[in-house]
Amino acid sequence: MADTTLASPVSPVAANARPAWLTGTFLPRFLTGAVILLAWEFVVRAVAPAYVAKPTTIVLAIPTVLTDPAFLQALGATLAAVAEGLAITLVFGTVIGLMMGRSAVIDRMIRVYINGFNALPMIIVLPLFSLWFGYSSGARIATIIFAAIFAITMNVADGARSVPREYLEVAQSFRSNRLHMLTNIVLPASMPYLLAGFRLAAGRALIGAVVAEFFLSIGGLGYYILYNSRSYHHNEAFVGVLLLAAFGVGFEVLVQGMTRRFMPWYRRDEKAD
Amino acid sequence: MTNSIRRHAPVWASVLAGLALWEIVGRSTSKAFMVPVSETMLRLWQLIAGGYFIMRFFESAELFLTGFLLALAIGAPLGLLFARVRVLRIGIEPYLMILYATPMVALIPFILSLMGFGFGPKVLVVFLFSVFPVLYNTVEGARSIRPELIEVAKSYRSSEWSLWREVMLPYTLPYMMTGVRQAIGRALVGMIAAEFFLSATGLGQVIMGASQDFDTAGVFASIFVIGLIGIALTRLGLNIEQRFAHWRQ
Repeated sequence: MADTTLASPVSPVAANARPAWLTGTFLPRFLTGAVILLAWEFVVRAVAPAYVAKPTTIVLAIPTVLTDPAFLQALGATLAAVAEGLAITLVFGTVIGLMMGRSAVIDRMIRVYINGFNALPMIIVLPLFSLWFGYSSGARIATIIFAAIFAITMNVADGARSVPREYLEVAQSFRSNRLHMLTNIVLPASMPYLLAGFRLAAGRALIGAVVAEFFLSIGGLGYYILYNSRSYHHNEAFVGVLLLAAFGVGFEVLVQGMTRRFMPWYRRDEKAD
Repeated sequence: MTNSIRRHAPVWASVLAGLALWEIVGRSTSKAFMVPVSETMLRLWQLIAGGYFIMRFFESAELFLTGFLLALAIGAPLGLLFARVRVLRIGIEPYLMILYATPMVALIPFILSLMGFGFGPKVLVVFLFSVFPVLYNTVEGARSIRPELIEVAKSYRSSEWSLWREVMLPYTLPYMMTGVRQAIGRALVGMIAAEFFLSATGLGQVIMGASQDFDTAGVFASIFVIGLIGIALTRLGLNIEQRFAHWRQ
């Protein structure tokens, strides 16, 4: 009894007395990051051969890699392939997704296949695509499309299904035709889902491109990483990996920004938080 | 009854149409491009009957289980530790998120160049593919615990053990199981990636070999089997996740 009456007024004061930077998230995060980097640096220095990547040498390698024409060419080749693959995926994925979202029969017919293909590890198709398209950039595009299309299709289907019924009823009572309703109501209303799917698909497309380049040995960012790590230029190769991770984060930020900027009416994210 | 038929009829019709299309396209195009279902199944039977396929399957299973169980054995306790010690969790969170999002496939060339072709580096690949979903989701689960719950438990002088039993585990386990489901899928990808890019063993070797021999039927047969394994593992993961899902609040 005496304990509680004494203890309770003291503790809130003590908690308030701490400065904000100590109780906030910055300090633990900064310290953890520093510990990870230092541990990496010293472990590699102590036990590993000199060519193994460590933070200091990676940082030093960044300017040389980013100005290396071979690297820029490889990056350009991969990004162009990803863009081309994503453009194709976006068109077909959206059309299939809209059909699935608006018709329960089509949905059931296609979903079996999507679930089946989704359960496959994406890289399993590489030997098949190399048989079909040869060791060429065509096989890379095919891998990108295969990696990305299901994410877009499933999300667009979800979006098309969740269009509020009133929108369609109003359009119907104004004698709008089906195609018109699809392009002017269902498609815009499922835009946030499309973007969410696009974010997923872009990440997968990038991984698909890199894996295809590993497997098929065609020029690009993935092959740059493979080639440099084979010839003991680990620091240069690791800059490629960092860039890959940065693109993943970049897609995320871009899509979030676009959703907020162009679709302020959409509030799914806020609810989830 | 009729309702169930109406629900499932499109699925069966679609599967049958797909199989028919596969058969027709396979028969009317070059063997190098596609082989019909019938021939694929025949080839699959040959591969299984020869014993070769079964041996390769067990090689793959050994790799998958070693890497996945290691990821679980290290990821789960570490995740729970992060979950319990708040300052550790806050510190590690952003880095876990980055590692969770990093395509592990990009690290395979480094592992190859540093560790070579043995069983160890392959297990490392499967481990790296599957450990971060477990860690990340467990830490996410810890975030879902309202601090008041722990404060109330503490102010009632709850022991560490009962705090775990009544608060920590019920809140984090459902999330951890989501991680386990994701980890199962990723471990399968990691297994195939390791078999493709490190040394060819297991089911990866079956596909690579068939592809190099232009044995299209063999490629289709192995993709078919890996697809079935993938579907079975996905089901297993969903079952595990759902068993704990009702704990989630």
